[in-house]
Amino acid sequence: MARTPLEKIRNIGITAHIDAGKTTTTERILYYTGKSHKLGEVHDGTTTTDYMDQERERGITITSAAVTAEWKGHRINIIDTPGHIDFNIEVNRSLRVLDGAIFIIEGVAGVQPQSETNWRLADRYNVPRIIYINKLDRTGSDFFRAAATLTEKLGINWVALQIPIGAEDTLKGVVDLVTMKALVWEGDELGAKFHEAEIPDDLKEKAAEYRQKLLDTALAVDDAAMEEYFDKGDVSVETLKRCIKKGTISGEFRPVVCGSSFKNKGVQPLLDAVIDYLPSPVDIEGIKVAPEEGQDEDSDRRVIEVSEDGPFAGLAFKIINDKYGNLTFVRVYRGVLRTGDQVLNTTKGHKERIGRMFQMHADKREEIKEVYAGDIAAFVGLKDTGTGDTLADPADPVVLERMAFPVPVIDISVEPKTKDAIEKMTIGLQKLAGEDPSLRLRTDQETGQTILSGMGELHLEIVIDRLKREYGVDANVGAPQVAYRETITRPHTEVYTHKKQTGGSGQFAEVKIIFEPLERNQGIIFENQVVGGAVPKEYIPAVEKGIRVQADTGVLAGFPTVDFKATLVDGKYHDVDSSALAFEIAAKACFREGMKKAGPVILEPIMDVEVTTPQDHVGDVVGDLNRRRGVIQSQDMAGTSVIVRAHVPLKEMFGYISNLRGMTKGRASFSMQFHHYDPVPRQIADEIMAKSA
Amino acid sequence: MPVRLRWMRGRTEGDGPGHPDRTREWVGCDDAGEAIVRVVCVSGPIRVGWRLRHAVARDEEARVVELRPPVDRERRWLIVVGGRVVGRAALPLQAVRGAEAALGGG
Repeated sequence: MARTPLEKIRNIGITAHIDAGKTTTTERILYYTGKSHKLGEVHDGTTTTDYMDQERERGITITSAAVTAEWKGHRINIIDTPGHIDFNIEVNRSLRVLDGAIFIIEGVAGVQPQSETNWRLADRYNVPRIIYINKLDRTGSDFFRAAATLTEKLGINWVALQIPIGAEDTLKGVVDLVTMKALVWEGDELGAKFHEAEIPDDLKEKAAEYRQKLLDTALAVDDAAMEEYFDKGDVSVETLKRCIKKGTISGEFRPVVCGSSFKNKGVQPLLDAVIDYLPSPVDIEGIKVAPEEGQDEDSDRRVIEVSEDGPFAGLAFKIINDKYGNLTFVRVYRGVLRTGDQVLNTTKGHKERIGRMFQMHADKREEIKEVYAGDIAAFVGLKDTGTGDTLADPADPVVLERMAFPVPVIDISVEPKTKDAIEKMTIGLQKLAGEDPSLRLRTDQETGQTILSGMGELHLEIVIDRLKREYGVDANVGAPQVAYRETITRPHTEVYTHKKQTGGSGQFAEVKIIFEPLERNQGIIFENQVVGGAVPKEYIPAVEKGIRVQADTGVLAGFPTVDFKATLVDGKYHDVDSSALAFEIAAKACFREGMKKAGPVILEPIMDVEVTTPQDHVGDVVGDLNRRRGVIQSQDMAGTSVIVRAHVPLKEMFGYISNLRGMTKGRASFSMQFHHYDPVPRQIADEIMAKSA
Repeated sequence: MPVRLRWMRGRTEGDGPGHPDRTREWVGCDDAGEAIVRVVCVSGPIRVGWRLRHAVARDEEARVVELRPPVDRERRWLIVVGGRVVGRAALPLQAVRGAEAALGGG
């Protein structure tokens, strides 16, 4: 990899709601930076970053793809991410390792549900962002209305760096509010040239108003710029750019640019904005190390600064298996690594030797011999490194902050069509689950079936399709099932004695455990409060294991039990008859008995559903959502359409799309994403329990 | 007509460890260099009796002239003339314009 100074590198992601134009924008970027000489189109299935067969056939992005482009002496490493919520894990892990992002919103609908989810993810990882309002050539698009949704739905402080010239099919270009020049494109076609011009008369007032807003917002972050403004009544372009970059990185405000990637307008200024305002690896704070055991997430922790000096440290953020083997994508934060070097996987505690290294360009690869801080590269031949693991020089074995993964909400059972394919299927599914942390694989203890859990119907459909295409396994798939959970609603203390004497050495263990409900998404917490050696220390892990294993099969309908705390407070043991196994058995039985008395309930996933429908079908759509146990959250006008937002149980949403199409003659669309888990109503709980019995 | 004042940095405030201090007060002076208006944004918290207030404005002698229980991001900058708050704005430059307009009778 040719060395580019760190300050001239930009590691960025492109993220948005589905169909906002991420891949189309990426294709234009590759074209205008000279990386590709012909343009791929999503609708033709010819884009660079959508290289999987399924992506090209369906016209959607499924997996994030890394590409590199050069622009005005800078190297821009870009990750194009999927928009569909089922593949949100790709956005999650990409944002985790990027220094900045282009956040695309659509000029007609403005901020959409997936935009909100991705925005919150970027907030979690403190990723500086540029907002690009795309598709301003579309009928019904409106830059100012779309920008207003940034305030309404995201509650952010945004500032326009451009305003459009013309609208819909008369979109001609943009007014650059930093230089106060018009940028006018000379056509819609690929490679259309643009030139600078004076701001059109009819836009002068609007441009002056937005320029003042820009100055008000941007200069507030820089005292020296304020003084320059007081002295001269204005500031230089350099000063203004410095302020915009400072505010963008600190998150004080979010800059907004605009255009139409499909009509080839606005892409070059977007690239300028990337290098002017998004941070290089050295402009950001660095990466925190993971909290140590018992340390709070918010506690002050050591920060690894991005630098080529110092021992190597990198984070594995993506694994793919292809015909050449296992590829591990790594973001390098510190130091230099060369082929043949040995590193420590500090998350798992074992060494890995670096075989070959590649710079990836979507599915194409270029072999490289060394990687530097700030780079993103793919390593071949790592034996046991998973998504989120840290690779580091043993001289400073740091563990970098790990990633958080979403919870799967849909289960399907899978079995091969022929018995001899069982082993192939298991290997295939294990490899696919190894690539995708939002995919879980387990065996149902009661039925022996292989259960695959994922983020949605589309997610699991793609996995089964990949199983067939990449591993040659044709599988029968059960109907999608909601991934229910169980939990408890009140505290209960249970004592259980396990005693067995049938000749020979016996088994004895007694445990006293307090079970208490926790807030949602807390998982399972185990605490040992035994004093005076009532349960010897060596048996405590067995008690914890017993509870965790048994929690996989809840007491009501066999669903995993979550969000509870189990505190071991007392117990008894026998010098001869007690063993780890006896305590594990006692803990399992104590869980089964205790849970029944702690007010167990079944939880179901509730989805945030957004339906965009023509006005004349609003009544049908709302009525139908109510019948599906939905709770309407809002109804907002968007041009000639109405956006209905509701919380609806996932169980009621299977097959919704065909129903919606029928109801609205195909004129409405919808999207949904997981929102929270809620207890199911009594009657439905009874049905679920009867079915599981 | 808004009057044109000469503005200079006033009191500064830190955003916490690792962050440089920022000017949270701009002082508007007349041609004689006399301070006649301040735009100020002093974030709390400050304890008043048993209550904790999150935002305060102070006059030139550092006396509290206004307390606001919650942090109000939309109206953070206060225009203070002679110990009295005469206007508010979300951003310092807006407050400066507001101050010049207020002094000019606008």
